[in-house]
Amino acid sequence: MSTVTINTDQDNIGVVADELLKQAVAETSIEVNNVSVSFKTPGGIYTAIKDIDLTVQKGEIVSLIGHSGCGKSTLMGVISGMVKPTQGEVIANGKKVNAPGPDRGIVFQNYSLLPWLSVYKNIFVAVDSALKDKTTAEKMALVETNLKMVNLWEHKDKLPGQLSGGMKQRVAIARAFSINPKILLLDEPFGALDALTKSTMHVELLKLWVMDNRQKTIVMVTHDIEEAIFLSDRVVVMNNGPAATIKEIIDVPLGRPRNKKDIVHDPAYMKIHDKLLNLLIDKFSIADITIEQ
Amino acid sequence: MKELFSTKSLLGILYFVAGMIILGGIWALVSKLTKNEIPNPQATWLVFKEVMHQPFQNDPDYKGVGTKLLSSLTRVAIGFGLGSLVAIPLGLLMGSSKIAMKMVNPIVQILKPVSPLAWFPLGLAIFQDSPKASIFMIFICSVWPTLINAAFGASHIPQDHKNVSKAFGFSTWKYLTKILLPFSLPHIITGLRLSIGVAWMVIVAGEMLSGGQGLGYFVWEEGFNGGNIAKILVAIIIIGLVGSLLDKCFTWLQQRFSYAV
Repeated sequence: MSTVTINTDQDNIGVVADELLKQAVAETSIEVNNVSVSFKTPGGIYTAIKDIDLTVQKGEIVSLIGHSGCGKSTLMGVISGMVKPTQGEVIANGKKVNAPGPDRGIVFQNYSLLPWLSVYKNIFVAVDSALKDKTTAEKMALVETNLKMVNLWEHKDKLPGQLSGGMKQRVAIARAFSINPKILLLDEPFGALDALTKSTMHVELLKLWVMDNRQKTIVMVTHDIEEAIFLSDRVVVMNNGPAATIKEIIDVPLGRPRNKKDIVHDPAYMKIHDKLLNLLIDKFSIADITIEQ
Repeated sequence: MKELFSTKSLLGILYFVAGMIILGGIWALVSKLTKNEIPNPQATWLVFKEVMHQPFQNDPDYKGVGTKLLSSLTRVAIGFGLGSLVAIPLGLLMGSSKIAMKMVNPIVQILKPVSPLAWFPLGLAIFQDSPKASIFMIFICSVWPTLINAAFGASHIPQDHKNVSKAFGFSTWKYLTKILLPFSLPHIITGLRLSIGVAWMVIVAGEMLSGGQGLGYFVWEEGFNGGNIAKILVAIIIIGLVGSLLDKCFTWLQQRFSYAV
């Protein structure tokens, strides 16, 4: 008798835990509400993005994709707090975004390491500034863990100028991870890397994300379709600017962990790939180019 | 591994020697044309040895050339040091703040082209003391190049670096010490290098005006008034060597504090 009761109890606990888990999974991480951004230019007011609405769940990986100058980086800037929206607001981790904060780690397009500081110090100054309550020993431990995670511990005393592009980007990623932000914002993080290094970095990024129990929300700006599909849960396709809006949001329901080599043969992958190509490109062959006589 | 005497460096030495021989030839020719009014290299060499016999002689009635050199260098060091202490912070402030730039820049533009010698009588009126007036003059002329270069450096900090500071919430102190200063440092050193060059040129002129001390006095009193042209030539050589040595020091500093991006 008693054993049965215990079993029932355990089942109940299981159900409750499942529901809690679902709630946790469904927790909203970022809410972009009706955001527009305009800049004053000598030629008048330029609207970069207009009426953007986007909700990102906790632990989700979302890519923003579009042509150059379509305002994806501007939208990213609004989420990070670097760019003030002219209209609307962004709620991140339940709080309205007014300025950059340590709950949102940023990896910049061109690494943005300080060239006069060693790899170690580049990460340390960031940790030191962002996590003020921690002791020096705790900060040092964080730097060490994160540098080891990206396999750069033996390069810790080098200056950024002595590193390859891929290594610099790993430092930038380690720096963003080391302040343990709930949200990670990547602005064309792999844009300057060669195709081979890029592939390796994709897998490394996912490894870091999985090691952290998929708790971090990642928003990434890219113009690489394969990269967007391989990494993301959803791909946000943007219209061309000025006054860019969201054209379409494509779900990527591919199972994880994903395999770089196998995924390209998956019919679901090919379908998404085709769809994105169609959304982003309108000329596929020289036959599509009309020459005006 | 670099060879100690590569063909390239050997050739370099050879060209240098050739240049010196040509210069010596022209010098000897000028000496001959002026009927030894301008002493020839050999005669100058003899005076050089004589001057260098007891360079650091420091009697009340006669001071050696080394003693005079040191007194010139001391005044340059004080004036240059004080000038840099004013110029570096002010320049960084100008580069960081548009308001400071708009306030200070017009004044700098007006005062910068003024010959440093024009400040000498003003210094004399303020301090009633000619060595202090020389220091004042050096102070003024070492401010401008450093000020302008520091301001240039501080105003050209890349947006990337500023973004890092914003994204990770750097404090003002951290921004100053980890971004503003390191980025501006190579520019500041360039400014210092230009300043020390100007200061070294100006001290000799200043000492000709003030009299009594330093290499300028040596050129004027012992050389020209003493009717010993060879001493003027010796002084020119010493001034040139010391000036290029000072320049070398700052070039070394420049290389030391430059970084690859």
